[in-house]
Parts: sequence; structure tokens; C-alpha cells
Amino acid sequence: MKKNVFYLFACSLLLISCSSSDVNGDTPPDGTNNQWLIPISQVKDGGPGKDGIPSIDSPNFTTATNASFLNDNDLVVGVVKDNEAKAYPHIVLDWHEVVNDEINGTFITLNYCPLTGTAFGWESMSDGTRTTFGVSGLLYNANLILYDRNTDSNWSQLRLECVNGSLINNKPTLINVVETNWKTWKMLYPNTQVLNTQTGFSRTYGTSPYGDYSINNNRFIFRPEITNAALPNKERVYAIIDGDNSKVYQFSDFENGQIIRDTFNGKNYLIAGNEDLIYGFRLSSDHEDLTFEYDFNGTEAFFKDNEGNKWNIFGKAIEGPRTGETLTGAKSVMSYWFAIAAFYPNPEIYSAL
Amino acid sequence: MYLKRLIVTLLISNVYITNAQTCCSGGVPLSNNLGLSQEDKGTIQLGLNYDYNNLNTLNSGSETLNDNSRLRITHAILLNASYAITNNFSVEGLFTWVNQRRKISQFGNENLDQSSGIGDGVLLLKYSFPDVISTNSDLTLGLGTKIPLGSSTELDSRGILLINDLQPGSNAWDFIYWLSASKRFNFRPSLSTSIRFTYRNTGTDNDYLGNSTYKYGNEFQGFLSFSDQFTFLKTLTNPSISFKYRNTLKDQTGGGKLDNTGGNWVFIIPNFSINITPNIAFSTKAELPIYSNVDGTQLTPTYRITSGILFKIKPKPDVLNLN
Repeated sequence: MKKNVFYLFACSLLLISCSSSDVNGDTPPDGTNNQWLIPISQVKDGGPGKDGIPSIDSPNFTTATNASFLNDNDLVVGVVKDNEAKAYPHIVLDWHEVVNDEINGTFITLNYCPLTGTAFGWESMSDGTRTTFGVSGLLYNANLILYDRNTDSNWSQLRLECVNGSLINNKPTLINVVETNWKTWKMLYPNTQVLNTQTGFSRTYGTSPYGDYSINNNRFIFRPEITNAALPNKERVYAIIDGDNSKVYQFSDFENGQIIRDTFNGKNYLIAGNEDLIYGFRLSSDHEDLTFEYDFNGTEAFFKDNEGNKWNIFGKAIEGPRTGETLTGAKSVMSYWFAIAAFYPNPEIYSAL
Repeated sequence: MYLKRLIVTLLISNVYITNAQTCCSGGVPLSNNLGLSQEDKGTIQLGLNYDYNNLNTLNSGSETLNDNSRLRITHAILLNASYAITNNFSVEGLFTWVNQRRKISQFGNENLDQSSGIGDGVLLLKYSFPDVISTNSDLTLGLGTKIPLGSSTELDSRGILLINDLQPGSNAWDFIYWLSASKRFNFRPSLSTSIRFTYRNTGTDNDYLGNSTYKYGNEFQGFLSFSDQFTFLKTLTNPSISFKYRNTLKDQTGGGKLDNTGGNWVFIIPNFSINITPNIAFSTKAELPIYSNVDGTQLTPTYRITSGILFKIKPKPDVLNLN
């Protein structure tokens, strides 16, 4: 009996001793790469782990007429580079978040965060070398943190900056993208290519992995540090970013198609939009004297000016005496309101009054 | 002698487990490993088990997707202890040590995150009503609580807080309700059938990620088991087969239900135990899913193996005093 009790006691001690073992994984902290530009306590493990949400590195495309997997109301992120148009549907991006692609010889990384509703395109470069980006599995203010596969540095998407790793403080070179519904995009660019669901991964495209998250204003999966009740959390707004500041424009400002001229942080902007699409430009002295007018009739032209020029949504003159000229796209993004308010606290909200 | 061998074997295997460089573990099996039998007043039972839970199957609803890049493994060491306060009333405790692992194998790379430590525990009170249903039967009711003994603030190697799924503990108290019944048959008294239902009403972690809340979905489990006894090589053996139905509701965070959580599962559990001595038994069992229907897209159990030993320490029989 005493023997039995002794052996059982030994087993118990063994169990207790196990509890004091290392709890932090196999790799010791790397002092050189452990500096973050953002508070590390606000960097969250999103759950799937690094590459648990796999980027698409060999994207496959189809034509607009063959894109039967898309509904007219499905949102897409659109890019035009040297007259080649590509659309990246949310229903695919929801499951992958990052697409490493090539358009006319330019390598781009199209990235989208379903939790903040933000999409950017940027050059696939890090440290001067071509690279691809992946999903780090980390979030900051509920927003995607990418990593580059060249240096393993971490990049905050909505902050537009490398926040950890050897490239800390580096900023990506942005490529203009717009976000609109499929119906509008294919009217603008009927010859567009569309990222299709032949991704090489088995996923239920068309079913959001986040349920009603995109429309439920009360729902957060990861709550940001700062919230702002000025607008509904999940309202999609167009945000111009300048340094640490932002100014947002609502779809309600563009009913029936509108052109807005505005000043933000001492810079002049032109913002064109309707109920489905908003995009803005920073006006240079060459274009400040023009008078612009909304002019979307289901073709590529989106607005026109008093000189008879017609401009597309990316600010390229496609008809008229200034054909070939390009307005400078604003540093901007479509975003859920809460995300802009978290990254760029107290953003201005445009009002026509 | 047997006991010595077992202890030595266990010590060796435990050292291997804690130092193993291969990955694998996930999901702490609390409700699964409760349920020591009701014994005579004063009997102490101690169980020591190792549990390996492998989740490497990605499901969308009941459809298995062709993707095994994600692996979740939970290694757990489970210490059960029970004491029969009376012939019908017992108290049981379950204490755990867990190692949670998440390994992603993608694009030719492997990324491993893990945590280890003391996990949550359970305290369960049970009362048995013998022969209420019929002769040679038992009906047992139980009430318990899951105690958040485990840490929920473990960091990864960079100092980033791991997701709650990878934490050893849940930082929430749960209530556990227990109902079981068993029946031994007259035509073969060693043959018995039993049912067991547990319902876990989960509590809420009110300090989730420092600014939110998290509640795991309530869980229902039902077991139907058949067991018998045989003598094999002069040793008493107990093979059994169980079917388990498990239902969990969706988790909730920040006041909303979380997609890709919750679901329904049916498992088959073959179990084999051997009585090394009258008071020491070794058992091993596997838990294999035969039906999985998850909400949304989820990693779902692939298999689970549990092995361990059970010690019974019975009180000395009363000596009749003729004086």
C-alpha cells in the first residue's frame, strides 16, 4: 500500500514538473528583428497562423464573359496597367487576401483584408529585389499584416509601412486600384481579365468565411484599440490618406454621380464617384484650372472637363486634347469606417454643407 | 513488480513527449476523460493518461476539402482522481498539462507555434442510484465545474499573444451536467451497456485579447457503450466499443457568433483495458470520426489516442472485533 502511494506521488510530481517547462515554442526571441513600430501588445494572432491563409502565387484568369461565378453586385478590386485590366473578386480574396501577380511585366501584390475591407496594390519589391508577399497570420487593429518572403519582414497593410524586420520603416510603392461591383467594372473594362476560382486551393468560394461581418456594425472579431461612433462601423467609405491624417467621403456624397473638389491638409483634390465607385486625384497646377463634370455612360469614360477631354476612373485622359495625360491618383483606399478611424484617428468627414 | 515496470515505462515515455521535436497536439479533452466508476466508500482512484489529439482534416460542412496544410495537435497529460465519500456519492477531479501545437506546411515552409503548461481542470460530484431502472443497473447524476487553472496569456517566440485556441487554458468557468446509466445482463453478467450524457455550459472569458470577450460554444456529448470482460493469458481484459455524438454551438466573441465554429460529429471509440493487478489497469483507446458536419469551414478531428493507467486504492476491510 505504502509503495503504491509512493509511486503515485512520483507520477504526480512528474506531472507538476512538466507544467513548468518552456511555453514559448522552439525559437528563441530574435533581438535584432523583434523591434516593432507598433505596440506589440496590439499585434494579434489571427488564428490561422503564418501562411494558414495561403496567398495566390500562380493566379489564373478568365474573361468577363466567362466569369459566370460572379454576380453583378459582387465587389471586385480593379487594376489597369498599360491598358491591361484585371479584376480581383472579393469572393476569392476573402479566402486568400494576397495575390502575387504580373501585369505587363510589372510584378504586383494585390492585397485585401476582409476584416477592414481594405485593398491595395503595390509593387512586389522588398529591399530592391523582387519578392512575393504572404499572409503573416498577424493582425494590427483587425487589419492584415503581410510578410515579404525575401526578408521575412512584416508589413502593416493599412498603415502602408513595414513595421517589423530588417525593412522596418520601408514603405511600399503603391499601384492605383479601385473597388467597385462587378457590373460597373465590366462596363468600364469589358475586356478585363478576372481572377477565377481555379486557385489551386480547395475553398468554398462564394461563401464568406466571415458570415455577416461585412454588414453587421456591432460585430468585431478583433476589436481595434480605437473606435469612433461618428459613422456606422462597417460603412464603406473612401479615404484619402496624408501622413497620419485621413479624410473620408461617403457614397451618399456621390448620388447620381458627382465630382467633388476639396482641400485636405492644404492639398487640392478631385474626387469622382457615383453610388458604386469613388476615386480621387491630387490636382497639380496643370489641371487645377479645369472644370470637371461627371460623365459615366457605361463606357470607360467616367468624367469630362471643359476642354472636351474625357477621363477614365484612373485619371487618364482617353479622349480630347489632353489624351494620354494622367491625373495623380490620391493615396487612398476604400475601407470600413472603423478601420480608418483606428489607423488615422479622428478622420475628417467630408460634408458639402 | 508490474507497478514498477509501468512507472518506469511512463517516466520514459513522458520524457520523450516533452522533448519530442516532432509536432502534434490540439483540443483539451476534459469531458471525454471524466467518469471514473463509483466504488465502495473510501476507495480512491487515480488515473494517469496521455492523450494525443490530431486535427488535420479541413471540412466545409460535411465535405472534406483537399487541403492538409494545417495541423493542430494537442498533447495532454491527464490526472484523474476520485474519492468515494459513500457507496453512492463520489467526488472526481481532473487536472491537465497540455501542449498545444499549430503547424502550417505551405509553400515549402513549415511554421510551428505552440504553448505548454497546466491546463484547465474539472471538479465533478456524482451520485449513483443503484437498481433504480432495473436490477443490475445504475443511474448516476453529476454536477461539476471546469476550473480555469490554465494560462490564457502565453506568448509566441516574438512576444505576441497566441490565439485563445492555442492557449493551455480558457480563462472561463464552465458548468458541467452529467447523466449516465448502465445495465449488466443476467445472461452474461460481465457484459454491460451504458449511456452517458454530458452538457457543458461554457463561461465567458471577459478579458479576451485585453479588450473583448470570448465564449466557446456550449457542448453536448452523448455516449453509447458496450463492454465485456474476458480472461486472456490468465489476465482479465475489458474490451469495449463506444459511439459518441458531439454537438457544439458556435463560439461567440464581441457579442457576435463566430463563423467556422461549432458543428456535429459522430465518433467510434474502440477501447481495450487490461487488469495488470486487481487494482491496476492499463487502458488504451482511439477516437475516430465517422461523421463530421461543421459550421462553415473548419479544421476537424482526424483521430485521437488516449492511453493510461488506473490505480484503485481500496480501504482496508473492517476487522470484526470479537471482544
